[in-house]
Amino acid sequence: MDSALIPEGAKRCSFPKFYAGIALVGAVVLWGVFAWILIYWKGLNQTNMNDYYGFALWIWADLAIIAVGGGAFFTGLLKYIFKIDELKNIINFAVIIGFICYSSALLILAIDIGQPLRGWFIFWHANVHSMLTEVAFCLSAYFAVLTIEFIPNILENRQANKVPFFRHLAHNMHGVMAVFAAAGAFLSFFHQGSLGGVAGVMFGRPFAVREGLFIWPWTFFLFTWSAAAFGPCFTLLVTKITEVITGKKLVSDKTVHLLAKISGWMISTYIIAKIIDTIYWATVTVPSLGFELSHFYSNNSFYGYSILFIEIILCGVVPGAILIMKSTRENPTLRLVAIILGTIGVCLNRWVMVLQVMAVPVMSFDTWALYIPSWQEVATTILPIAYGIILIAVTYRYLPVFPQEHELNHANEADTVKKEVLTEDAIIKEAVAATE
Amino acid sequence: MKVDRRSFLGLGLGAVAGVTVSPMMLKLTDDSSILSQTTKLWPWALDHPPLDGESTYESSVCSLCPGACGISVRKIDNRPIKIEGLDDYPVNDGGACLHGIAGLQYLYDPARVKTPLKRNGDGFEEISWDDAIAIVSGKLGDIRKSGAPEKLACIIDKDQGSVSGLFKRLLETFGSPNFYTMPSLESNLELTAEALHGEGMTIGFDLANADLVLSFGAGLIEGWGSPVACFKANASRKERHAKLYQIEPRLSNTAANADKWIPVKPGTEADLALGICAVMLKNNLFKGSATSAFTGGFNKLAAQVQQDYSPVKTAEITGVKAADIEKLATKFAKAKMPLAVFGKGRGDGAQSLKEMAAVQLLNCMVGNLNKKGGTFVMPKAEYLEFPESSLDGIAQKGMLKEKTGKYVNQLFEKVNQTSKPVIEALFVYNANPCYNMHKPKTVKQAFEKIPFIVSFSSFLDETAMEADIILPSHTFLERFEDVATGAGLAKSVVGLTKPMLDPIFDTRHPGDSVISIAKALESGVAQNFEWETYEECLEGVTAGIWDSLSEDGFALLSEEAPSTAAMVNVSYLAAGPATVKAQGDYKLTLIPIDNMRLISAGYSASPFAIKTVADTVLKGKDILVEINPLTANGLKEGGYATLATPIGTARVRIHLNEGIMPGVIGMVEGLGHTFDNIFVSNKGVNVNDLIGPVIESGSGLDAAFGIKAKLS
Amino acid sequence: MKQENTKTHKFGMVIDLDKCTGCGSCMVSCMSENNVPFKDDESDKKKSITWMRVYKLTNGKSFPDTEMVYLPRPCQHCAGKGGHGHSPCVSVCPATATDYGYDTGIVSQIYTRCFGCRYCMGACPYHARYFNWWDPKWPEGMEKYLSPSVSPRMRGVVEKCSFCYHRYQAARDIAYSQGDKNEIPEENYQTACTTACPAGAIVFGDLNNPEHKVHKIVNPDPHPDTFNKHVVGKSRNPNVFRLLERLGTNPKVYYLSEREWVRKAGDNYREGEWDKIKNHYGATSTHG
Ligand SMILES: Nc1nc2c(c(=O)[nH]1)N[C@H]1C(S)=C(S)[C@@H](COP(=O)(O)OP(=O)(O)OC[C@H]3O[C@@H](n4cnc5c(=O)[nH]c(N)nc54)[C@H](O)[C@@H]3O)O[C@H]1N2
Ligand SMILES: Nc1nc2c(c(=O)[nH]1)N[C@H]1C(S)=C(S)[C@@H](COP(=O)(O)OP(=O)(O)OC[C@H]3O[C@@H](n4cnc5c(=O)[nH]c(N)nc54)[C@H](O)[C@@H]3O)O[C@H]1N2
Ligand code: SF4
Ligand code: SF4
Ligand code: SF4
Ligand code: SF4
Ligand code: SF4
Ligand SMILES: [Mo]
Repeated sequence: MDSALIPEGAKRCSFPKFYAGIALVGAVVLWGVFAWILIYWKGLNQTNMNDYYGFALWIWADLAIIAVGGGAFFTGLLKYIFKIDELKNIINFAVIIGFICYSSALLILAIDIGQPLRGWFIFWHANVHSMLTEVAFCLSAYFAVLTIEFIPNILENRQANKVPFFRHLAHNMHGVMAVFAAAGAFLSFFHQGSLGGVAGVMFGRPFAVREGLFIWPWTFFLFTWSAAAFGPCFTLLVTKITEVITGKKLVSDKTVHLLAKISGWMISTYIIAKIIDTIYWATVTVPSLGFELSHFYSNNSFYGYSILFIEIILCGVVPGAILIMKSTRENPTLRLVAIILGTIGVCLNRWVMVLQVMAVPVMSFDTWALYIPSWQEVATTILPIAYGIILIAVTYRYLPVFPQEHELNHANEADTVKKEVLTEDAIIKEAVAATE
Repeated sequence: MKVDRRSFLGLGLGAVAGVTVSPMMLKLTDDSSILSQTTKLWPWALDHPPLDGESTYESSVCSLCPGACGISVRKIDNRPIKIEGLDDYPVNDGGACLHGIAGLQYLYDPARVKTPLKRNGDGFEEISWDDAIAIVSGKLGDIRKSGAPEKLACIIDKDQGSVSGLFKRLLETFGSPNFYTMPSLESNLELTAEALHGEGMTIGFDLANADLVLSFGAGLIEGWGSPVACFKANASRKERHAKLYQIEPRLSNTAANADKWIPVKPGTEADLALGICAVMLKNNLFKGSATSAFTGGFNKLAAQVQQDYSPVKTAEITGVKAADIEKLATKFAKAKMPLAVFGKGRGDGAQSLKEMAAVQLLNCMVGNLNKKGGTFVMPKAEYLEFPESSLDGIAQKGMLKEKTGKYVNQLFEKVNQTSKPVIEALFVYNANPCYNMHKPKTVKQAFEKIPFIVSFSSFLDETAMEADIILPSHTFLERFEDVATGAGLAKSVVGLTKPMLDPIFDTRHPGDSVISIAKALESGVAQNFEWETYEECLEGVTAGIWDSLSEDGFALLSEEAPSTAAMVNVSYLAAGPATVKAQGDYKLTLIPIDNMRLISAGYSASPFAIKTVADTVLKGKDILVEINPLTANGLKEGGYATLATPIGTARVRIHLNEGIMPGVIGMVEGLGHTFDNIFVSNKGVNVNDLIGPVIESGSGLDAAFGIKAKLS
Repeated sequence: MKQENTKTHKFGMVIDLDKCTGCGSCMVSCMSENNVPFKDDESDKKKSITWMRVYKLTNGKSFPDTEMVYLPRPCQHCAGKGGHGHSPCVSVCPATATDYGYDTGIVSQIYTRCFGCRYCMGACPYHARYFNWWDPKWPEGMEKYLSPSVSPRMRGVVEKCSFCYHRYQAARDIAYSQGDKNEIPEENYQTACTTACPAGAIVFGDLNNPEHKVHKIVNPDPHPDTFNKHVVGKSRNPNVFRLLERLGTNPKVYYLSEREWVRKAGDNYREGEWDKIKNHYGATSTHG
């Protein structure tokens, strides 16, 4: 039915099957949209946020998806600026994931503010001292960059590409993409950082506050670093999920291993910095403000020390170690464990930096605050995930997202015997040769 | 000039840039944000941007409680927008309590009665004032014709002021002695004064000048007496280096603010007072000169007290250590100007005469009567001059009949006891007995047995809901009235409440309602009400102080200690009255807690006041009771429990408080209203529903300080 | 020696906790002065707008040694680290909807500019900021008591104590009309909570003006604290303290208590720390 739109030579599931799937996920989108309308119509009282929990699930989701969306800027940076050509096999997908993450982040921000009609005041009455101003500017600009990066891929659709103008546009855009990638990397560096700064500058909140460089608290650098480190994990994870769902190999192991290796080194260096930061904060910053470290982890098991262990050791040190060692990195199961742990780790970090900050009492006579999101919050948080699934499904179906798809699957079909004797590297070499 | 494509573009861009940096853009920005606030396009736009106008201040007097503070009302074009305390007013001198400040919320209270109402089945129908007065006077005429005018009864908040005077006059000229006031600090002071110092007297406490105040549970900063005046006197302690010792089972705000908190078992305050008295007698610490004025068997009392209330015995009864009692007595007796204060909580509601008299005895013993910083024993302030009333034959006969009960609780008891109506008609003004009395269920039963009830309430409160006719009154912001500050103050002040705006509903001044009812009755009654309006009456009956009232807003009747010596008759105490015990035999004792942010007598707290109530008192619709963690027995903070007393049960939540004596349960007074105001009603439990009256033998007062209870 | 600058004001407050009775007059006076809305259930204190909130503190001891004190908490009008005007909330607001008044020391809130991101709320350790989760609604007729001096807020924006800024404006108007626009006599500018307090527990005035009672009680040390360079304006009165002074928020609301445990409760101290610094007050300055 829609075969004319499907990339040449690509095998896709039947139209009804595809749209049944889309409709299913679409129902989740509608649920989210319904919650969104409720929130706009009735106000933020539809959430379970309160005056203690002014930042909650949404801001966490925002920070988390931007962090995991960091795969886009970092892969772009490596591909276009550091000229690691191998990454061209995953860059399209990384950009799409980034696009989804950033559009979702903007969407959630638009839902989260009390007066959506005044959202533009952040640009109009910008306060240069505010980290959130920096976030808003860089985020919007970077979203524009991601859109530009995404367009050529859209134009490569079989029908669109028939139009000469689109074909030339796509071609020319590819040519100048390095400029945008550079701009994107720069913007990303700042907004990832300013998101970290959001927490770190709150000097009234000893749990969040960090000292730092110039106007930037350490969390600024840690957030950028962690996004660069864990973003590729998420790109790999989504790729893996897509492969499982489509039942096809989409990105060669070589590319995967390369990205995993880079991610591993980034995670390892990040986690060392994070450990140093935590120790400094716990032994210098916190005591100087009159607190014992235990104060922050004492109230309930939800916010106990275990959260610190899970974030730093289990979801930081462990995936870092797995991914820097060749043997573990190239073991598909261990690699999968590592990228899952890594993704959880960075999300948990954002969780701690948003929710635990709000929960901890600062005045000696104040109380801990607990919060459970309302269904409206959950629905609007799932909304972007559902939208992301749809966008990935549609782009996968109609756009040539994975340059290696055909070869990898062709090679698989034709040379199953050969595959067993050849190293994976050889297959990749062959596949690459075939594409060139 | 030729406009080509380039210059057009340039112009366009230039214009855009110009507009962007010009102030116009700023203006547009601001306009659009204001628009997003005020335009009724979206639900968050404001319905009512407040209108501006000329700003003025007018002074008046708050009559929400017996405090009678001076208030200053800020108005915009005749629209009152803010109430504050009035500077230089002799009662409060600036500052006001939260209820007075929230006074404007009563004006627009959703439960206000907007027009006269007549019962119609379970509900009410609106009627005209003429019809309403005709129905009331018709019914009253029938009662008179039946020859039993004493079957008209009246319950009112206080026996003071011209409105009260008009009600009293109506009953008198009608022929009924059944005029009742709700128990109040004022009535308790008078009873105590009557017991010790003779009839027609009252007691004032010079809190602002005493240097050691020994308070037997008096909530000096919980709304006792004239609240703001007490707050001020208390706060000035710091500068005056005066001390406050607070005796009560719970660390109340007053106890916490005091120099010392002396926890005492609930209901044993009288015993502690007598124990202190015994120490003073034993150690010869009482002032010799004072003893000479004692009559009524002082020696007998002295012997008895020393026998029954030795420090060891008193310690056993009260839970205060014997050594502490001795020290306390010494300290009290030796202070320059010691002052003992009685009237637990706000001093209204249930009190024991034994307790009040025993505490007052301490004042007599240290000889602080009629001295600066002591207690002023003085005649009730009388400033009203009603014309001599003339009683016709029916009235004279009626007035010779005995009052149905001595106090209002006995009235209800009598009504409930007999099957045929002892009361045919009841007037209720400024009182809410169906909420405020212990075990309101029996009050409501009595109400059901009274065929005709007229309420003069401004609000459809629990009592007004039981009425047959409601003649709604103006609120204190809409009317003139003389209000006397009695309530335990050393000085007597009468203030003038003035209308701050035209009545907003079809209500009337209660004085006018009484006058019109009287005028519609037989000439025997009507001739005693020859004023055209209440205002005319007010000016007439306050003629002696009217100039001062109308010019200064108040009249200061007395300020200095009375120059006469006070007589002390101890016969009541010498007779050895028994101490009232709590009803029931459960292990724990439930006591009501007075909380400044709630109102226990009169109407209810305002939405603002309710908003200030802590979440350890009220959570959602649940009331929290306070218990010591030692009493918790597995009950958790915030957990639900069933509180049972011999009178009733209630579902409550638990608040663990280290500052309450183990074995005691504290429940706040002033919640659990049931009328139609979502902001204040149907929240928590009315503690009166759980406590039954316990009549003190000898005085006849309901003296239930609490009740035995269990928690499960 | 030049007198301390009275041209720029630094309005502040000192609340005597030994006098405060917890009566709540200040809370209600603030609500009625500033058009604060109310709703049917206000018992969830984390969703209840009270610019002035009175906290209850206890000494944590068991019966009968329990003590308790009330602590009224308006916005602290923080001056931020070093007193430079970067209060925790002002510096984070992306839309400049809250600002530091360098001429008054008052932290403002512009309701029509606030777009409700609530970053300021997260940044304020005193929980002095409140969000309008609901549309403000008044029972029929009750909107007539709303004051035109203070604009009512709409749903979705943050609000907080303004030190009754409209009263400052009124006082400033008088000052203008009398020629010296900087001369604000103490009695001309008093906040609604101050005038309402029946215990006289709140003293308000210009911390920069040595004639004002608040200055006399607090006697602030204008120089950075020797223990913590971020802290300025530390009181030289041994009984005066500020909430969370160590964070460097530099509040202009001071508290007064003769009770040591109360002063200690004002900040966080690690084991043993209090005894070392409890007798450290603002320095009696010899310079400046
Ligand atoms: N620093 C500090 N000061 C305190 C207190 C504190 O805890 N610390 N506590 C305060 C308290 S609670 C109290 S009660 C006071 C106690 O202070 P005071 O009231 O001064 O009590 P004591 O120091 O016990 O002394 C009482 C005096 O009375 C005398 N006396 C004993 N028996 C008799 C008698 O029968 N007749 C006469 N005429 N005299 C007699 C004793 O000889 C003694 O001189 O101190 C207060 N001051
Ligand atoms: N050996 C000996 N024993 C004595 C005495 C004696 O002289 N010698 N004196 C006796 C006498 S007279 C007395 S009164 C008793 C006193 O006996 P206690 O009542 O035990 O008196 P303190 O130990 O002084 O204080 C008790 C508690 O009150 C707290 N407190 C202080 N100020 C306040 C306040 O404003 N509010 C509240 N809620 N608590 C406050 C204190 O911190 C302390 O925890 O001791 C008696 N026992
Ligand atoms: S204390 Fe009583 S009279 Fe005074 S303001 Fe409060 S309610 Fe009114
Ligand atoms: S009005 Fe005064 S005494 Fe009452 S709570 Fe406020 S500060 Fe304390
Ligand atoms: S108390 Fe909070 S809201 Fe007020 S200035 Fe300080 S940080 Fe800002
Ligand atoms: S909620 Fe309003 S005032 Fe607060 S930071 Fe956001 S825009 Fe600024
Ligand atoms: S200063 Fe004004 S705005 Fe602030 S708490 Fe007091 S009354 Fe409210
Ligand atoms: Mo004592």
